[in-house]
Amino acid sequence: MEEDSRKADNELIARTQAGDPAAFDDLVRKYSSRLYSLVYNMTSNHEDTNDLLQDIFAKAYRSIKGFRGKSSFYTWIHSIGVNMTINFLKKRGRHFQLSLNDVDANIENDKEFIESTSITNPVREADLKELQQRLNEAMMKLSHEHRAVVTMFDIEGMPHAEISKILNISEGTVRSRLFYAHRQLQNYLQEFHSRGPS
Amino acid sequence: MDDPNEISRLLRLKKYEQPAPEYFERFLQDFHRRQRSEFLHQPLWRIAVDRANSFFFGQPKWDLYSYGAATAAALVLFFGILNFDSRNQGQGGQGGQIAGADKPAASENVRTAASDTRTEQPRYVIDTRPVSYHEPPFSF
Repeated sequence: MEEDSRKADNELIARTQAGDPAAFDDLVRKYSSRLYSLVYNMTSNHEDTNDLLQDIFAKAYRSIKGFRGKSSFYTWIHSIGVNMTINFLKKRGRHFQLSLNDVDANIENDKEFIESTSITNPVREADLKELQQRLNEAMMKLSHEHRAVVTMFDIEGMPHAEISKILNISEGTVRSRLFYAHRQLQNYLQEFHSRGPS
Repeated sequence: MDDPNEISRLLRLKKYEQPAPEYFERFLQDFHRRQRSEFLHQPLWRIAVDRANSFFFGQPKWDLYSYGAATAAALVLFFGILNFDSRNQGQGGQGGQIAGADKPAASENVRTAASDTRTEQPRYVIDTRPVSYHEPPFSF
């Protein structure tokens, strides 16, 4: 399945390199939602995510002639995305506004989310929503590098090996960053949890 | 919240924080608009640099190179033939002189070294007999 996807990507890349821009559109369609999730969970701002996503695809389009297929397109575009997002976050510093609630309209229709929040219990639902809000705030307290690893592993469900390729670090470093980030998140959320359901 | 799995479970829920599907279709349109706008606002020097880059470092253009290679091959062939012709002509003149010089005894006009009254040194000497006093008329 993964091999098929890679073959399809390589074909689209070859067509783009040969000068067919419609082939690149297919790549944008295929990867925009995954990249959106990656960038959004690192920036926590929809407008910034939108701008960054445009920049990432524009850069990928400009550089695609140099793509030699040493890694998969998935790894390549994700590493462009992570690096550009980290650079953006470094420039942005602490001056940003959370806009997480503006976009997550879809989450409330999701089966897994409905089950988790158990709508029959409005108190628990409100509690979990607040916990999510706290989790988002806690995520923003992590360093950019730790947030990138948590986003890719916990949210995107990528394996350690893939993350190590994208970030160009060892798998051991990925694991230690994850361990440290989870501990940090636990500490940030401890206070909220110890308060108990309202 | 002591359980790290609970953190992972909560984080997994964040993957559903996605905008509506229409956003992604609109995103593609915005991307096209942006590309066109970038292209229109690109300075001339940048377009030239991009084109030069793609020419020299982009995909090899074999069809373009084949014209150059064919022209170069034709030129090499043309000058090769020209050079070969002039060499043949030159060797033909020299051969005539030497052919005559090779048979001094057969010709009555050929003088012996002893009877020659010239004071200058002979240029070509075969078997101690001078066969030529002059530079050959050709040069390379």
